[in-house]
Amino acid sequence: MINCEFDRRRFLQWTGASVFAAMSAQLSGEALAQAAAASPLPARTPILVLVTLYGGNDGLNTVVPYTDPRYRSLRSNIALDHTQVVPIGNSLGFNSSMPLVAQLYHRRKVAIVQGVSYPNPNLSHFSSMAIWQTASLTGESSGWIGRWLDRQAHSPFSAIGVGSTLPPAFIGERSVASMVDVGGIQLPWGPVSEILPRLGSHSPTDVALESAAATSISDLYSVARSVGPHLPKSPSGSWISQQLEVVASCINANVPTRVWEVNLSSFDTHTGEQGDQNALLSDVDTAIGNFMTKISAGDRSGDVTLMVYSEFGRRVASNASDGTDHGTAAPVLLIGNRVKGGLYGEMPSLKHLDENGNLRVTTDFRSVYGGLLHDVLGTPVADIIPDWKKTLSVH
Amino acid sequence: MSLTTSYQERLAIARLLHRFNFGPTPGQYADLVRHGLDATRATVLQHGVADPGIDSVKPLVLADLGPFPDGSAAKSNQFWNRIQKDSSDLIMWWLDRMVAARHPLTERMTWFWHGHWATSISSVTYPLTMKKQNSTLRSHALGNFMAMAKEMVVDGALNIWLNNNENYIAAPNENLAREFMELMTIGVNHYSQLDVAAAALALTGYSTVQSNGTVTLNRKEHFSVPVGILGKTAVYDAESLAELVVSRKDNVQFITDRMWFRFVSGTSAPPPTLAESFAGRDIASLVEALVHSPAWTDPANALVKSPVEWFVGACRALKVRPSSLDHDATQWLLSQMGQLPFNPPNVGGWTYGEAWLNGVAFQYRFQLAQNIVAKGDLSPLDVQPLNMVQACADWLGIPQWSRRTANALTLALATPSELALGAILSPEYMVSA
Repeated sequence: MINCEFDRRRFLQWTGASVFAAMSAQLSGEALAQAAAASPLPARTPILVLVTLYGGNDGLNTVVPYTDPRYRSLRSNIALDHTQVVPIGNSLGFNSSMPLVAQLYHRRKVAIVQGVSYPNPNLSHFSSMAIWQTASLTGESSGWIGRWLDRQAHSPFSAIGVGSTLPPAFIGERSVASMVDVGGIQLPWGPVSEILPRLGSHSPTDVALESAAATSISDLYSVARSVGPHLPKSPSGSWISQQLEVVASCINANVPTRVWEVNLSSFDTHTGEQGDQNALLSDVDTAIGNFMTKISAGDRSGDVTLMVYSEFGRRVASNASDGTDHGTAAPVLLIGNRVKGGLYGEMPSLKHLDENGNLRVTTDFRSVYGGLLHDVLGTPVADIIPDWKKTLSVH
Repeated sequence: MSLTTSYQERLAIARLLHRFNFGPTPGQYADLVRHGLDATRATVLQHGVADPGIDSVKPLVLADLGPFPDGSAAKSNQFWNRIQKDSSDLIMWWLDRMVAARHPLTERMTWFWHGHWATSISSVTYPLTMKKQNSTLRSHALGNFMAMAKEMVVDGALNIWLNNNENYIAAPNENLAREFMELMTIGVNHYSQLDVAAAALALTGYSTVQSNGTVTLNRKEHFSVPVGILGKTAVYDAESLAELVVSRKDNVQFITDRMWFRFVSGTSAPPPTLAESFAGRDIASLVEALVHSPAWTDPANALVKSPVEWFVGACRALKVRPSSLDHDATQWLLSQMGQLPFNPPNVGGWTYGEAWLNGVAFQYRFQLAQNIVAKGDLSPLDVQPLNMVQACADWLGIPQWSRRTANALTLALATPSELALGAILSPEYMVSA
């Protein structure tokens, strides 16, 4: 249990997943093109891309301790054997659904931070994700990237979420990140299209939500008016591939954005885990592989760091339904051409589990954030996470 | 605007209709504005009486389609087509009931509980099993929460959705036990992981027939050794587990907060005394307390209508039965907007607030609105052009148009269908301000 009472109302908000999304600007391709032309991101400015895996990705079947007899005996129905992993040394192997990431690892472009979570994990999807996104152990706070945004000169381009909902991590005390969407847009047609753009303007009598509703109308028009030349015309592949294709295109076009977020759901594998997780990891792997190929071919090859994380790992012992229940620590992957690849932190013991049969946490996630804040975003960690000093650097 | 009715009263009346009754039927708002707030409260609270609107919706009878077919591709195709058709019929049937109801509170509360016990057909697969859950939620929608929880913890669809069909003593699956406590009854941090593990044991031995939702307890597979849950040691089964958890004081505040959050305000906390109305776990008395709350005249308590609430409201005002629209298009557009009934995104339920409002969703909202207006009864706009914009506000239950919207709608006086389309796509109608 976490020490502080997790505020009930805040909890309700997290179940809603995306707070204040419409307060943020929906950026059009045109706006992004103009920004890239008018104030391109200076060369060699580092960029962070967050890849959020919702649902609790099973870390033990991602970076697999496949030679550990305890691994095989505790989860005999879902354990991966040596034919189902790509070995990376130290008795570990990547799930063989991730050949491209494994290849990047062998080229030393992937840092695996082992055993990452927060103190006394409480196994709830919603409060765990709140803690990760706020970098506060009560989950009652603004988002950690949002607080970084609060300290930047105001620009709608500094941080951008891809999709139609904004992650809570991107909502600060005073600033909210922007969004871009992957899909195509069909503008309203017919005579009413004379009226609709007028309904998208603000009225002094609007309450905040009416303003947000009006913005949703004007956003549609501004997004649709033009798709900038650097936005992919028809992103292909899985949902995560499409999102990362948008990000890669924008990065290569020097859009002045320091932090991006993409995400994928359905990692809550209580049953039939192997097939489901392998398929999801394969999508993630293809998306990251393609992304790194695109980035490496562009001008910002060394500037980009991806962080792949989930709200928790899963129970060491599988259940009888070939799945796993909610757990604790899991590896975080940091990927980039200037990342110093390899293993970081300590692999949690499969022998000395906690009282619930979960992995003991060996690395506090705030240290990972600390390293990224320092190395990528150029901000002292204590400015963003009060009273936290540790930084785990992979650069 | 009536000279004798204050803006605040028009606001409160509009809010009560939109939030508890899926919005007014033609003429109803103007009528209730004349009769006042007390009359409105009584109207929106009416339930448990004969409802000719509901009776006009043809009952939906679904067959038990049995286990997944193995064998020929033709047989398999036939099976999945049938699942698809039944699922579509189920969605349209429920939307029709929401639109047709003359006293919509029961359907509205059933809709709330569907989001609370959020179960998706995506893994349940069988429409009959989902319909059974829907009937359970409806029968307790304004009843006693304890009785509801006892029946829901052994609901077939919920048991499939949260993997309780695979919960065995040897290796318990905690999914149902955890979410039952975290999301459905007492809230996170009001129990420990040991409580979850023990509660999972209490839920062993229940098996669900996926195709019809029948749940049976096999005593031999049930963990029948005393175990401690929330500080009380006993031999538990699903019913005594629900009894224990819902009896906790935490349940009172948890349900009160969730109702306040969905019906009144996404940003403020409920007044401390509100929970007293739920002390006996009587849902109707909590709803009554909400309806009689002074919150309705507070301008701060605006909410965004969810896509279904917006869609059903527009259909009620324009007298359009959802099933008279193209079924596939309607369902596709609702799912693009993020809210297809029986398909919540996860066990946490639907999102809320500004998340429903984005440019991407507006293009689908436009297409749905166009389909509704094309079939709609626009007779409430048969008035002098000079009065048309105000008549439209009274028709849809808008306390007052902004200058922006009034000016825009004035451009469409010559074409009532365009005026109606603009009105239901206006910020004032997307939001219950």
